[in-house]
Amino acid sequence: MVANELQPRGDLGELSVELRRRALRLFGRSLHIRTVDTGSCAVCESEIRLLAAPHYDLHRLGFFFTPAPRHADLLMVTGPAVRAADNLLLKAYQATPDPKAVIAVGACALGGVYPEDALIHGAIDRVVPVDVFVPGCPPSPLALLQGLLVTVGRLEDRVTALSLDLDAEGAG
Amino acid sequence: MAFWFYRGLRRGIATTRYPDKLDPWARALPSAPSFHSAHLTSELVDRLSEMCPAGALARVDRELVVDLGRCSACGRCLDAGGGAVQPSGEFLLASADRAALVKRVPIRGEARHGRQ
Repeated sequence: MVANELQPRGDLGELSVELRRRALRLFGRSLHIRTVDTGSCAVCESEIRLLAAPHYDLHRLGFFFTPAPRHADLLMVTGPAVRAADNLLLKAYQATPDPKAVIAVGACALGGVYPEDALIHGAIDRVVPVDVFVPGCPPSPLALLQGLLVTVGRLEDRVTALSLDLDAEGAG
Repeated sequence: MAFWFYRGLRRGIATTRYPDKLDPWARALPSAPSFHSAHLTSELVDRLSEMCPAGALARVDRELVVDLGRCSACGRCLDAGGGAVQPSGEFLLASADRAALVKRVPIRGEARHGRQ
């Protein structure tokens, strides 16, 4: 709905996909992150904050936090799509200069935990286009690092090849 | 105890090696469930789907549909599933494709299988 009006995607077909991939790869060298909380329980935030701690030290990988969306390349969105927060998320998204990426962090942002009701309407990708989804409640800082590295094309995602069937042929 | 100081001097480095190498303790992190499809019955899957607080599990005919995006790795299905459900051990689940996070597991157990 709103997402489509904001950023029509796929209108140039393969070309736009390739352009976008290259832009995100450029971010692989250095990237500034702005976190947006649309109403999470703040546990995702505490895990995101751990990324800057000495053990995870995301600066060594070229990622930095910035306090304003205008200085950011990437938005990390936590929390479900709370209707009251749609406006602030849209404003943060529009204030972020192009090219930009959005990571949805945590089960709430991916549509879990909270059912749709008068206050909440599902997942974050109902409001802004999302590039990478990082599940978890909360996602470990390691999972967040993986999400960042997948976003900029420095790692392949592992979940596509993952099977949850232990009895499937060839499962190991 | 102040042994952390000594350990720090010995190892010399506090920062994780990830993405080159995963920390050994990371295996103990909560992870989404995986399933022994041969032990899954429709009744069990219905029961698990009903109790899942995140709405991550659902039964579609003879398939269990697991939405890893919604799973909060609370572990309730591990307790209720008997031997049919085990932790997958996989918590690095980031994906650009939302549909890749939705996994399907066939229900291959007999309806009156005495497992549960």
